[in-house]
Amino acid sequence: MPRLTIDGREIEAPAGQTVMDAARAAGIFIPYFCWHPQLSVPGNCRICVVGVEDKGGEWIDIACNMPVSEGMVVHTNSEGVRQRRKDTLQFITLNHPVDCGICDKAGECTLQDYHYEYNGERSLSRDAKNHETKHHALSPRIVLDNERCIQCTRCVRFTREVSKSNGLGMQNRADHSLVRAVEDGSFANDPYSDNVIDLCPVGALLSPSFLHKARVWYLKPTASVCPGCARGCTVNLWHRRPEWRLRAPDMRAQNESIDRVTPLENPAVNGPWICNKGRDLAKLLGRARAEGAMLKGRAAELQGAIAMARSLIAAARKPVALVSSWGSNEELAAFRAAFGERLDARVKADHAPEPGEVVEDAILIRADKNPNTAGAKAIFGDAPPDIPKDADLVLVWGEGLDFNRIPAGAKIVYLNAWLQPENGHADVFIPISIQTERSGHYTNFAGVTSAFAKCFPKPAQAADAETLFASLALAPGGGP
Amino acid sequence: MRHLVPEFEKLKERYPAGFEASLVLPCLRRIQEDRGFVAEEDIVGLVDYLGVPRIQVEEVLSYYTMLRRKPIGRFHLQACRNIACSMRGAEGVVGYLRKRLGIGPGETTPDGRFTLSVVECLGSCGTAPVVMVNEAYHEDMSLEKLDRLVDELAAAGEGK
Repeated sequence: MPRLTIDGREIEAPAGQTVMDAARAAGIFIPYFCWHPQLSVPGNCRICVVGVEDKGGEWIDIACNMPVSEGMVVHTNSEGVRQRRKDTLQFITLNHPVDCGICDKAGECTLQDYHYEYNGERSLSRDAKNHETKHHALSPRIVLDNERCIQCTRCVRFTREVSKSNGLGMQNRADHSLVRAVEDGSFANDPYSDNVIDLCPVGALLSPSFLHKARVWYLKPTASVCPGCARGCTVNLWHRRPEWRLRAPDMRAQNESIDRVTPLENPAVNGPWICNKGRDLAKLLGRARAEGAMLKGRAAELQGAIAMARSLIAAARKPVALVSSWGSNEELAAFRAAFGERLDARVKADHAPEPGEVVEDAILIRADKNPNTAGAKAIFGDAPPDIPKDADLVLVWGEGLDFNRIPAGAKIVYLNAWLQPENGHADVFIPISIQTERSGHYTNFAGVTSAFAKCFPKPAQAADAETLFASLALAPGGGP
Repeated sequence: MRHLVPEFEKLKERYPAGFEASLVLPCLRRIQEDRGFVAEEDIVGLVDYLGVPRIQVEEVLSYYTMLRRKPIGRFHLQACRNIACSMRGAEGVVGYLRKRLGIGPGETTPDGRFTLSVVECLGSCGTAPVVMVNEAYHEDMSLEKLDRLVDELAAAGEGK
């Protein structure tokens, strides 16, 4: 393996590796716009220049496309390198509008960061900047601000190399170059299109659902797991920081809602990507919630409903349970610990593919639209979610069951988070918390377990499933 | 575009296998030569024939301004406005053509006979100013020569 020196540190790197990769492996930072660890190397942004010692002098070239060689001496921050970066940034910002004040990317923009780090000067150009449209819809999900684009082509390469939709391209030439979607509309049908928003090193590619919604420094990310399918991609759920709570009439909608979803890089599961369904978790997890406990459709006190459910379960001769594939491993274990073998428990699918949804592909999306089928089946076995004809009580945990499948005459105890018509058809209905209101783990289809953390307090009317199971399993008349 | 496939097959022999994308440019040139512009059906046919993503054809079409997606007039007048032609009076040439034809650069006369374009260097600086009519160069253009040229073209157009 060639030995080289980067910033005075001796490094051994595999032959053929680039200086960029060798430096990153050694924890030495080199700036980049167009380079990305998962994409091909176009070498067009020129910001990753480094200096290589040669005959008492130094030559400058891009680190992303320079293979390491024996005895190479590299400087990532020499005077020559700093001057070259400064000059490069002058060109990169030649037509950039520097409208950070109204840009969603401000605060997490690499152009902004590098400008402060490596340039810091105003534009030297005396020519007027090119003006372009600031709201060009590449698809219903992505708007492009043409002025801010620095033509790094990361988004274009993403659609060619990762999502394979070939949905984007560079049109025209030179400083008239524009990112455009192909005319046959394939970008709008790319189920991974929203990744280009994260890939964009500047604020050119934006999500209309997040546009002008929040400055990113008022938000905080909470690590979570996408429940959209059995892949279980790790994600960051961004929501308002508690110290920046808004005083708004509808506090919950403003302060306790998911503002955006981004991938949380995880080589074991999803790499740096997620699909568009994961971006829309705010819709999935922001659906209307069940408002309170009910007995045969009539509002009831939570404690009363729990007591009623407990006595129904205790009195049943052949009780059956349909367990949620959206329950966390902790909740599933609590269910097993509380009821043991007393309930004939089977795992049900809470969600089936929606019409129009991509059911399955070779990238991330799995046909099973539930996050923890594997975790649930590990505890409750692989029996199909059929209900025996002679069941006299059915405990249903989670949504998605057709109540017509429950034998007439069987009592129904229903634990569900959402406001749905079935709630009123149960003998006892108890509202429970959702993923964002508790922490836990899901096990994905391949057996990889990922953790999710709590984002918001649970609403007062909802029960915490883990403690609820324990109190439902107590003998009737026992304490809550 | 289909009738050009035998020609494209010959072109293909010049490239190593797997370089179908490199054929986009010569194929588009040939299509435009044949039809006068590149139509939607040509794009669809070429994507199908070469097996390249459509976006690569669209990129090439937008990169080269000489490739057209709409039909133009029978006589395409391209006046150079680069430095050598400008120093030898290209602005007068363009101004005269504007007045004489009644159209601006990028426009076509209502009778479909003339299209006027202003272009960058045509590579004939030694004989500036230069105007191209379809594939032919007309050099050292004075206003008198320009007048005669347009008269001749107009007469030829009527004969058709």
